[in-house]
Amino acid sequence: MNRQPVIVGVHATEQARALPHRTPMDLALEAVTGAIADAGLRPSDVDGAQLDWPGPGGVPGEGSSWARIFGRDLRWTSDAMLDNAGSRGLLKAAAAIGCGFADTVVVGGCKLATRDQGEGPIGAGVPLEFTDVWGSYVVAQFALVASRHMHEFGTTPEQLATVAATIRGNGTTNPEAVMFGKGPYTVADVLASRLVATPFHLLDCCIVGEGGAALVVTTAERARDLPHVPVAVLGGGMEYHQAAYANPALFREVGMLGQDAATRAFGMAGITPADIDVFSLYDPNSFEIIRQLEALGVCAQGEGGPLVESGAIGLDGKHPVNPDGGCLAYAWNGTQQMTLKVVEAVRQLRGSAVHQIDGAELAAVGNAGSGAQHYEMSLLGRL
Amino acid sequence: MTRPVPVPTSLSREFWAAAAEGRLAIPECDDCGIRFFVPEPACPGCLSRSWHYAPSAGTGTVYAVTVVHRVPGPGFEVPFALAVIDLDDGATLLSHVVDCPVDDVVIGLRVRADFRRLTDEITLPYFVRC
Repeated sequence: MNRQPVIVGVHATEQARALPHRTPMDLALEAVTGAIADAGLRPSDVDGAQLDWPGPGGVPGEGSSWARIFGRDLRWTSDAMLDNAGSRGLLKAAAAIGCGFADTVVVGGCKLATRDQGEGPIGAGVPLEFTDVWGSYVVAQFALVASRHMHEFGTTPEQLATVAATIRGNGTTNPEAVMFGKGPYTVADVLASRLVATPFHLLDCCIVGEGGAALVVTTAERARDLPHVPVAVLGGGMEYHQAAYANPALFREVGMLGQDAATRAFGMAGITPADIDVFSLYDPNSFEIIRQLEALGVCAQGEGGPLVESGAIGLDGKHPVNPDGGCLAYAWNGTQQMTLKVVEAVRQLRGSAVHQIDGAELAAVGNAGSGAQHYEMSLLGRL
Repeated sequence: MTRPVPVPTSLSREFWAAAAEGRLAIPECDDCGIRFFVPEPACPGCLSRSWHYAPSAGTGTVYAVTVVHRVPGPGFEVPFALAVIDLDDGATLLSHVVDCPVDDVVIGLRVRADFRRLTDEITLPYFVRC
């Protein structure tokens, strides 16, 4: 039996700055049942739940809460929110499926950072003794890495702004995006927006909003009689430098974070960064795309700025990044924005994306965080 | 409302006690001799559980800086220069560089620790230009 892990179902809920008429549980239920329906399966076909369970009902945070409403005992579950999203969730599900611990795993849900933390900038979520007292929130942590990259390589504010204008532009013409209809944005617009934490202007930073997402992973064998073209997990890799935000991210330590994960993933898949048709990368700010293009080996370290300035990451560029508008303009919703990166890659490979890259056969999905102190990537391809 | 106040732990109590007396104390491994920050249950260099707080001269160089313009929460006045400082005698700290225009705080700037009281228990190691 071919146990090659494949993605057969995806669902993204509505995404918005705020969804006051929706609860996290409601969004999680929609994401999960939507993805299962998209896969052409029934809930009782699912034997693995790497899913957020916000409650009320069940036990909040305990993944096995899903067993009761799926109407069957589960063979695989997860209680950790970062294991329930994006490439990390996908790779752990793929590992379970590949090993035979489970056959069909749903990954995703809804975990809203906005409602957990209330007003003000998003922080780490837990008290950090040597970080919080300095007002070192998420945007500032990334800014410390960006400022050093600019110092070492001459990366310019215009190059950062090019990333923001390009990806935001994709989102403003995506009807599903939070920023739909708001653009277009020019490099000058980004540079003219108010400073948040140097070198980042407001438009260099991602939006903050609410929403859920989920995906269904099963075996290539099981996928044969399901409705969509299966999207195979060809390779993957994860990399963790240290725990989030307890120490500041230092460029000398994390500048190339993701390189080891990428080397492993590309080696596993037997492809190179030049083979990738579309990139779906974490974009909490403009700079993080430049850093990831370097870490993933799309270009050498220090060449990310000139690369984006050449137009390479646009929809018609050599290395299109985030055709959906990414976190900068489509959606950032807490942890499930990571799953949205996989959803966009799957849609691109199915040929059903809003901004479809012609003939996309191979996609790279990169999730990261904390400045970035962790990186999780997956390589996907049409089977 | 005030800014978040650090809550000392068994690992950090000595750091805060020294800071309250205007001294910078940094974890130093008894076995491999490296200095590290923040304090950990074991040495990041050799996993030794035997380390002590050693006095630091408190001088160093700005490794990275961001000028924060958006208020990060109650108790902060913007703009401020949030900086990563490499201490001359080992270890790297997050702090603010104060008493100069924020735009003067650039990578490579020489700085020294300068202590400011936050609460009865907590005194913070800020940095000023040398």
